[in-house]
Amino acid sequence: MQHVAVPHAQPQQRQFNPYSENGGTILAIAGANFSVIAGDTRQSEGYSIQTRYAPKVFRLTDKAVLATNGFAADGNMFVKKVRQRLEWYRHAHAKDMPLRAIARLIQTMLYARRFFPYYVYNILGGIEEDGSGAVYSFDPVGSYEREACRAAGAASSLVQPFLDNQIYFKNQTPAPGTTHPAHLPLSHVLSLVIDSFTSATERHIEVGDGLEIYVVLAKGSALQGLDAIQGLSELTTTDDGERMFVIRRNLKRD
Amino acid sequence: MASVFSPPGFDFSNQLRNNFMAQKGLPLPKATSTGTTIVGCLFDGGIVLGADTRATEGPIVADKNCEKIHYITESIRCCGAGTAADTEFTTALISSNMELHGLTTGRKPRVVTAMTMLKQMLFRYQGQVGAALVLGGVDSTGPHLFTIAPHGSTDKLPYVTMGSGSLAAMAVFESGWKANMSREAALQLVKDAIAAGIFNDLGSGSNIDACIITASHTEMLRNVEMPNQRVEKERQYGFRRGTTAWKTENVRSLIVNEEITLLGGGDEMDTT
Amino acid sequence: MFLTRSEYDRGVNTFSPEGRLFQVEYAMEAIKLGSTTVGIRTPNGVVLAVEKRVHSPLLESSSIEKIMEIDVHLGCAMSGLTADARTMIDHARVTAQNHSFTYDEKIKVESVAQAVCDLALRFGESVHDEEAMMSRPFGVALLIAGIDELGPQLYHTDPSGTSIKYDAKAIGSGSEAAQSELQDKWHKQMTLQEAQILTLRVLKQVMEEKLDQHNVQVAQVTAEKGFEILDETSLKSVIELM
Repeated sequence: MQHVAVPHAQPQQRQFNPYSENGGTILAIAGANFSVIAGDTRQSEGYSIQTRYAPKVFRLTDKAVLATNGFAADGNMFVKKVRQRLEWYRHAHAKDMPLRAIARLIQTMLYARRFFPYYVYNILGGIEEDGSGAVYSFDPVGSYEREACRAAGAASSLVQPFLDNQIYFKNQTPAPGTTHPAHLPLSHVLSLVIDSFTSATERHIEVGDGLEIYVVLAKGSALQGLDAIQGLSELTTTDDGERMFVIRRNLKRD
Repeated sequence: MASVFSPPGFDFSNQLRNNFMAQKGLPLPKATSTGTTIVGCLFDGGIVLGADTRATEGPIVADKNCEKIHYITESIRCCGAGTAADTEFTTALISSNMELHGLTTGRKPRVVTAMTMLKQMLFRYQGQVGAALVLGGVDSTGPHLFTIAPHGSTDKLPYVTMGSGSLAAMAVFESGWKANMSREAALQLVKDAIAAGIFNDLGSGSNIDACIITASHTEMLRNVEMPNQRVEKERQYGFRRGTTAWKTENVRSLIVNEEITLLGGGDEMDTT
Repeated sequence: MFLTRSEYDRGVNTFSPEGRLFQVEYAMEAIKLGSTTVGIRTPNGVVLAVEKRVHSPLLESSSIEKIMEIDVHLGCAMSGLTADARTMIDHARVTAQNHSFTYDEKIKVESVAQAVCDLALRFGESVHDEEAMMSRPFGVALLIAGIDELGPQLYHTDPSGTSIKYDAKAIGSGSEAAQSELQDKWHKQMTLQEAQILTLRVLKQVMEEKLDQHNVQVAQVTAEKGFEILDETSLKSVIELM
């Protein structure tokens, strides 16, 4: 064996990167008395599809739904921990956690990992205590805000401008003597969600395969044409509270 | 006085500056890459080439229906993967040179000739020209199929794949390829191989292009399969007239009124 | 009562053969030595009142603090070893703040009462070889008043770590007489003022001194103003209405 004399060993650096990015996109839109939370189901790494069906949208309570996007392992673990905290809360305080409390809990949970963050963008949707539809969006370290709509993930830069234009009516002047509506009807919102995802699938390689749209209806509100939507199934467990539905659709698989 | 001479070919004078800027953290502009699945397959009496039609810029689909099977000569075609500009320019240049070569020699140029010209060019540029090619064609010596890697190395094989979807496509070839296949069987295998790339590789997508080359005839099958048609939108996204706000309005008349004064009667044109 | 003492009345975490924890029972006795404290729940809020024993003319009665705020919507009155209550109220305050920090909502009255009881049972607890944090049970009982989504509520907690919800409750030296008086006089649709007057009347009955604005303290929790200790002038006007 040959030995080579090294005069001075150079300093070496090694790195381990515990994160990866698994693509996909999520979005949520709040209505007056409903909330819609959606995500595609493709999970990828680089140019490879890991699975065509990995849900990114999770039902938390009868009136709260959480969508996670970014590093899938962190996302799944985070949802698991949030659910654990929700159960503890239920036992300690004898009630389901209200939506704004879940939003604040998620902030504290994310900020607790300020220096080793969950590599996840979260969007929380559901119904507030006052019966209004709500969407909360988070950054990976816990900054959060209640909004009318939000897109996150791989194709967020494609979808958010579309939502800004169609939900907030950005760059659209109303016809003389009219104003833009503050909230859109459910059927309109569902169309925008579906079009957002079919369009993102066209132009973003990490979006596709399947689409899951969760709809939460406030207590006592009508179906608003939801029953006519194909691929709908109801998840409601109680008969006097909020109602929850999921719409499952196929997206292009290329 | 500064020289105004510029040598022919590539200009590398900015390379030092660009490397410096990249080192300082300025991202270099991204080239459009054909994320791509390209394949070639030998059959009894000819060659079938195949390609997907997706072009990407990072994770964004730049072109949903681009052409990746390039013309070299009537009976030689070349699929390109890698940097779109490099594959397009390189194949166009070699196509020109092949035409000239044919005129000079008075014979139909051979596939090896194209292959040699391509590999010499790619080797000269040390991989800086990012073209990964599948070259196929039929000449006086029979059907030939090559791959040419960006650094200039070549392979001659009965079935080949390249691009980010090469593994998915090769899996299909490895399980389905047989010697002395019929034209139809070879075309089906190529289509299956490209489809494997389209559906399993994120860099590949949209439609299937194929090209069947035999001694007597070359058949370019553009969009031979279109398994990824765009679905209809749920809503119409038209905008009411007057949607876009403006700050000032200024209407200028583009009609120029001219008064023509005829001098000296104005004769009729002589039409005799 | 405990004429035959045994070694079982010493250890805080040892049951007697009859199944009793003597130290806890003694702690309950300590409360019976404390000043009388009364709480009444009405549909509009909860009233707390305490007797301040001014046993010396040189004593500054305003320095006796037997009613304390836990959070804006929560108050607490005590009887027994009031020094022990500081630890408990500190714990309740931290719990309430932690809750609003974590959940962006006011903690429920029941939850603070439960948190206080959790602490009350930590006596004799030790980790590995370390010394126990608390050597004995607390010698104090609390009346926790508050308003949450379930409306105005009154909870009683004692050294055994039990918390019970009441419509009206008296603790301390005169509690037996006071409690039967409350049972007679309390009714569902009491106004806040009626409750204020009733607390004072009950206190008056069990107090040795003549009741005035210096030797009692009254506090209330309402939906509008949250927890507040009645100042001398409003206390005086209630006393005049008695």
